[in-house]
Amino acid sequence: MSVRKIIAEKLMWETLKRWKKSSPELDRIEFLRTVPFFGELSTWQLKRVEEVVFERAYEPNELIFEQGQPGAALFLIMEGQVAVEIYHEKFTANLATLERGAFFGEMALLDQSPRSASARATVKTRTLALYRNDLIHLSQSDPETACQIYRALAGIIGDRLRSTNELVQETTGERVAA
Amino acid sequence: MRPRPEREREELDRRRRRKQVQFAFLFSLLVFGLLLIWQSRVLVLPIAVGALLAYLFRPLKDRFYIPGLPHEARVTLLFAAVVLMFAVGFSTVRQHIPSEKQKLELKVRLKYKLNKKAQEFLGAKNTEGRPSPMAALLARETEPMLARINEFLDLTPEEQDLFLRYSTGYLGESPIEERFLEYFQANLNAGAAVSRDPAASTLAPAPAPTPMVTARTKDPVGEAKVREMTEAPHSTLKDELSIWILAPLVFLFLGFDNGQIRRYFIGLIPNRYFEMSLTVMDELDEAIGAYLRGTALECGLVGFTIGLGLFLLGFPFPVAMLVGFISGLANAIPFLGHLIGVVVAVGYALIAEDLTAILPFVNNENLPIAVIIVIAVATLLDNVLYAPVVLGGAVHLHPLVVILAVFAGSAMLGFWGMLLAIPTVVVVKTAAETLYKELRDYRII
Repeated sequence: MSVRKIIAEKLMWETLKRWKKSSPELDRIEFLRTVPFFGELSTWQLKRVEEVVFERAYEPNELIFEQGQPGAALFLIMEGQVAVEIYHEKFTANLATLERGAFFGEMALLDQSPRSASARATVKTRTLALYRNDLIHLSQSDPETACQIYRALAGIIGDRLRSTNELVQETTGERVAA
Repeated sequence: MRPRPEREREELDRRRRRKQVQFAFLFSLLVFGLLLIWQSRVLVLPIAVGALLAYLFRPLKDRFYIPGLPHEARVTLLFAAVVLMFAVGFSTVRQHIPSEKQKLELKVRLKYKLNKKAQEFLGAKNTEGRPSPMAALLARETEPMLARINEFLDLTPEEQDLFLRYSTGYLGESPIEERFLEYFQANLNAGAAVSRDPAASTLAPAPAPTPMVTARTKDPVGEAKVREMTEAPHSTLKDELSIWILAPLVFLFLGFDNGQIRRYFIGLIPNRYFEMSLTVMDELDEAIGAYLRGTALECGLVGFTIGLGLFLLGFPFPVAMLVGFISGLANAIPFLGHLIGVVVAVGYALIAEDLTAILPFVNNENLPIAVIIVIAVATLLDNVLYAPVVLGGAVHLHPLVVILAVFAGSAMLGFWGMLLAIPTVVVVKTAAETLYKELRDYRII
């Protein structure tokens, strides 16, 4: 990190600490710091991200988004629990249950393709949502921060692709063996 | 502990009551808001202009990002730069806004020159020394229009009185030049000729300028009328200025907004419509922003082209830029914009004297034609190059909608209404289209 950025961060963080002790902004920055997605971002970069995220609160059993709808935002769980589900004609399959610090709907940051699953809050839940076009705007005003977020996103998608490939290989191997 | 069905019923009742309260609140807010807007409608225009400027400058603010520099400092710096730019622009424009005396001189000069040019052009004779049939036909056709312009340019008795006072120096102003007094006398003589013989054409040769008219003796009633005339516009201007101070304030405070307004409104939207509302707002912002910034750039280019062309024709640089600015601004009004540019530029070309054009073939005689050619070239460049390149795929409106909107805007808010009519229609059209599309995509309707 350049000297200019270290000084900038020091100045900003000191000011933040002095004036905004335990403010919602500071809480959100502290939370974002714990999310692997933003793990590599510095404090002033986290402040930039905090400026563009939306905090949403959901009641138990409330849908966050629905399968088949166009995706627009990535969601980070600040508090509560979210079930990721796939609906079929006759049954509903629970793919995962996510808790504080987890994120979902990350593919919406890349395009507007329909959601592949639904997300439902199972208890009272608070989330932070990062909208796709806000990230695009961030890439124009602060390319370094946006680039780090996109790199983290690429890493996560790469990991998931690798897991899927392994799963496919295992399944194919089992079929061949059978 | 109460039984479950009872609790569920209570919960349903609570939800219904909440919806009723929300509806009543929103309805009262809407009524109160509309009433407030209507009562303070004089403030709507400065607020709209301030908001529009803030909107136009927003991409610049977003790009002007320095790590570590607080948002407020960035906006203040940018605001200072914009204010400086506008201050320089306005002070340049203000230097060329005519005073009361100059306005009277302008009217006298314009009327005299207009009639002189019309006589020269429409009184053309053929080789046998008889009036040319074409000129006679043109004279007949344009006579009503010229009569109306003459009527508009006629000085009222109070203005004549004021002109005569200025002729010997009045309110600290230097006396009016001799030639303008001669024009004034010629105009009076022409008017007298017409009033003596109502059948006489307005194109009848204006009597040659006669020696100076003597200033009238001061009378208390005339003095009061003149004072009223010179003072009234100043107080109106002061009121206007105090209202217009809102525009930079709105610009500044909207500039300080770092997405809080958007976040506040998004926060009011139910979770079910959260993603959809983000998409709608963004698409709306993109379409309207592209249209407004494109139009502003297009107007700037047209204004610059006209200003440059007029400068090459020999217009003094500030006048060329001022006419370019007015023509550029008027260009935002579809169809009528170019006409306003022509009227202003040709108006100046008619009264211009002793011009030295950079282009060798332009002289005082053919200047109005050259001005029309410059504006025609600017219009052509606008249609062929500027509009397609700058506006590109921005919102398209049917010509009939454009005309109706311009007339409706004019009827409601005059010049500013004409100027803001099309952006308003674009906002409404884009909002309706985007909302409908997204409501379908999100399977809400």
